[in-house]
Amino acid sequence: MSKFLKFTASIVLLGAAWASNAGAQDADAGEKVFRKCAACHAVGDGAKNKVGPELNEIFGRIAGSHENFKYSNAMVKAGEEGLVWDHDSLTQYLAKPRDFVKGTRMAFAGLKKDDEIANVIAYLATFSASAEQAAAEPAPTAAEGGETAPVEAAEAPATNAADAVIPEHGIYHLGREALPEEVAAWDIDVRPDGVGLPVGSGTVADGGVLYDENCAVCHGVFGEGEGRWPVLAGGYDTLTADRPVKTIGSYWPFASTIFDYVHRAMPFGNARSLDADQTYAITAYLLYLNDIVTDEDFELSNETFSEVSLPNEENFYPDDRLEEANFATNVEPCMENCGDGPAEIVMRARILDVTPDGDDESGAGGID
Amino acid sequence: MSQQPEKDKNFVPSRRSFLQGGLTAAGGAAVAAIGGGAALAAGTPDPAITELKDWNQYSGPGVDAAPYGVPSPFEAHVVRRDVPWLTADPISSINFTPLHELDGIITPNGLCFERHHSGVAEVDPAEHRLMINGLVDKPLVFTMQDLMRFPRENRVYFLECAANSGMEWRGAQLNGCQFTHGMLHNVMYTGVRLRTLLEEAGVKPSGKWILAEGADASGMGRSIPIEKALDDCLVAFKMNGEALRPEQGYPVRLCVPGWEGNMWVKWLRRIEVGDKPWQLREETSKYTDLMPDGRARRFTWAMDVKSVITNPSPQAPITHGRGHTIITGVAWSGHGKIKRVDVSIDGGRNWQHARIDGPSLSRSLHRFYYEFNWDGSPLYLQSRAIDEHGYVQPTKNALRAARGDNSIYHNNGIQTWYLKSNGEAENVEVS
Ligand code: HEC
Ligand code: HEC
Repeated sequence: MSKFLKFTASIVLLGAAWASNAGAQDADAGEKVFRKCAACHAVGDGAKNKVGPELNEIFGRIAGSHENFKYSNAMVKAGEEGLVWDHDSLTQYLAKPRDFVKGTRMAFAGLKKDDEIANVIAYLATFSASAEQAAAEPAPTAAEGGETAPVEAAEAPATNAADAVIPEHGIYHLGREALPEEVAAWDIDVRPDGVGLPVGSGTVADGGVLYDENCAVCHGVFGEGEGRWPVLAGGYDTLTADRPVKTIGSYWPFASTIFDYVHRAMPFGNARSLDADQTYAITAYLLYLNDIVTDEDFELSNETFSEVSLPNEENFYPDDRLEEANFATNVEPCMENCGDGPAEIVMRARILDVTPDGDDESGAGGID
Repeated sequence: MSQQPEKDKNFVPSRRSFLQGGLTAAGGAAVAAIGGGAALAAGTPDPAITELKDWNQYSGPGVDAAPYGVPSPFEAHVVRRDVPWLTADPISSINFTPLHELDGIITPNGLCFERHHSGVAEVDPAEHRLMINGLVDKPLVFTMQDLMRFPRENRVYFLECAANSGMEWRGAQLNGCQFTHGMLHNVMYTGVRLRTLLEEAGVKPSGKWILAEGADASGMGRSIPIEKALDDCLVAFKMNGEALRPEQGYPVRLCVPGWEGNMWVKWLRRIEVGDKPWQLREETSKYTDLMPDGRARRFTWAMDVKSVITNPSPQAPITHGRGHTIITGVAWSGHGKIKRVDVSIDGGRNWQHARIDGPSLSRSLHRFYYEFNWDGSPLYLQSRAIDEHGYVQPTKNALRAARGDNSIYHNNGIQTWYLKSNGEAENVEVS
């Protein structure tokens, strides 16, 4: 528990630095609201495109027209059909982005309160205050490893070989029986059928607070992923797209995996620091960020867990590679005069040269 | 240490250090015209022979100068390398084995590629335990000493990350076989059959799956069907004769022969027996293969038949000009032994059998050679492996036709290197 507190403290400090940095003279309500956007959008001097386009001069901009930003087809089309950003269109878009521009890539559920919308638009209208993000690098360094389960000290060497006690079990009579406390300390895995879930509970609202403190630095306020950190939310209907976005909501088959993984491995660099209630709360919040649950009062617990299922569950099927034509056996491959005419280059790495010594240090694709 | 070559950042290190070596040796005769240096005029004596060398005159360091031996300083460029933009952070990242610098079938321990999900766990073996729990007659805990008292086996297996060549689905991208194929190593392991340990605890008849779990901060876990667990899985504590390297799971890791590297859980601390798979993150969010219809294959464990020419390749150009030339590479299959490797120098139009040399072991790398007289004209080099079951390594286009561009894992397509008349090689795809 103390480790968890320490970790939280460092994140809070980080948050404070960010807030003071972003602080402008007329720090009005809209600027605060814009923090919800700042993970993806920048405004002010030197604003660059991030996950979303920079929003300087947004008033009067034709939707989907920032030169250097790659928009969804939907946004480009909306612009071509005459959508220009003004007070009205922004109001509608920010309330329900996905309803207003069907197919928009903006992985943001929308602002719920009218005054928030009005304030953030007023803020955008000033084009001035800098919202550059100071929180560049995540800070959780003090990784002290997970909790160590109680372990017996190594047995003292037997003074006399003949005195060694030989257990009854097994074939070689090696090892010793695991104690229930020891099994409990390590066996924390959770299965889709709920086997392994600890007793506990947490609400979406609690999870939101924990998430903002412990997770948002890397995964973004909305689960959109800061920089190259993993995206946890959004990506709906992208699995057949050219560049699929695989998230909990768009791809994962089972909610149990969220609980299991967060409990065993997150936050990155401080694994196993969340207790069962906190993990339920954060899992509930991740479901909320992915529109799987919509009620902020929803409480996830070992009892309500079975009510939740993820939309993509049915779309996984067992490996059937062997049915591909490539796997035909005992087909003697062509040895002479194969193919049509001489081989010609159709693609060269030089064009996409993303090898480490190349000038361009970025490339497409990942290893997952 | 004056002979230590400067740590070479050049992407084609072999050639540059070769030239440097030539200069220090006052112009080596071996530098061929196309290597960039001038060949010695015929009849000029080679100073490498006529001049007295320091090493020929003065005694070198005595024994124990390096209690744990290290490679020659002239081999300083032979290192693992990473591609920083692939991942957000080096703590959960990957680097690649320099395949183009190796020969034979064994990967030296210090060059085996690394993939960690939460950095290298530094585990004190005295405080490491392996637990077996779940559907067993008696849950057990073993110390490292206990493990080493079970009957041991020595086996050579390749380990390939399922994402090896995964960046190449959309076309030739990375210029070097270290990067296109280097999530691969081949090691002789010493360990205990997982079967032996499971039998010591007694698997209940309802036990159909195991969960293998690591002690690192990612708590790496994978579900494995009991048939595989009881077949050839090995709980290994030695690699190539010495203790596992920390980055390979010291003090103990699981080997799951022929199956994707992610399942070879490092820092192995727990085996749970259950009646269903666990569906953990590494077998749902990751290591599932997205198909063009938006559905995804799961439990795609086996690594298919594959090969690559390691020399020449973009990082290892030919510097000797035309004449007798050796093409070499490695071939492997998660389904068993390699039966045959074919090599093409014209982009797959005509094929010749390559010669396999060295041990031919199931689920291990095989080394092949193809020797020919290069006339100096540009070539498209390819290799194609066939395993003992008759599986033939497919073309990349055949794979794309079946799986689209977004399945990330299990790309075992045929690689093409474009060998230019100046001896350089480039990663290309051909019609
Ligand atoms: C998760 C990241 C994300 C968040 C959070 C987000 N946006 Fe966006 N936004 C985007 C992306 C991506 C686009 C481009 C959408 C497309 O191409 O369909 C976009 C587009 C826009 C556009 C249209 C810009 C143009 O050039 O046409 C506006 C305006 C906008 N966002 C405002 C906001 C505001 C205000 C907020 C906060 C209340 C916000 N966004 C929150 C990612 C985000
Ligand atoms: C310091 C950055 C960082 C922080 C803070 C962090 N994560 Fe992560 N998270 C990561 C990285 C890196 C990975 C991928 C790890 C890997 O490669 O195995 C990840 C993976 C995940 C995944 C799986 C993503 C996928 O698509 O498979 C989930 C879910 C997740 N994190 C949730 C959380 C939660 C919840 C928190 C807060 C309690 C949190 N993370 C805090 C960096 C972070």
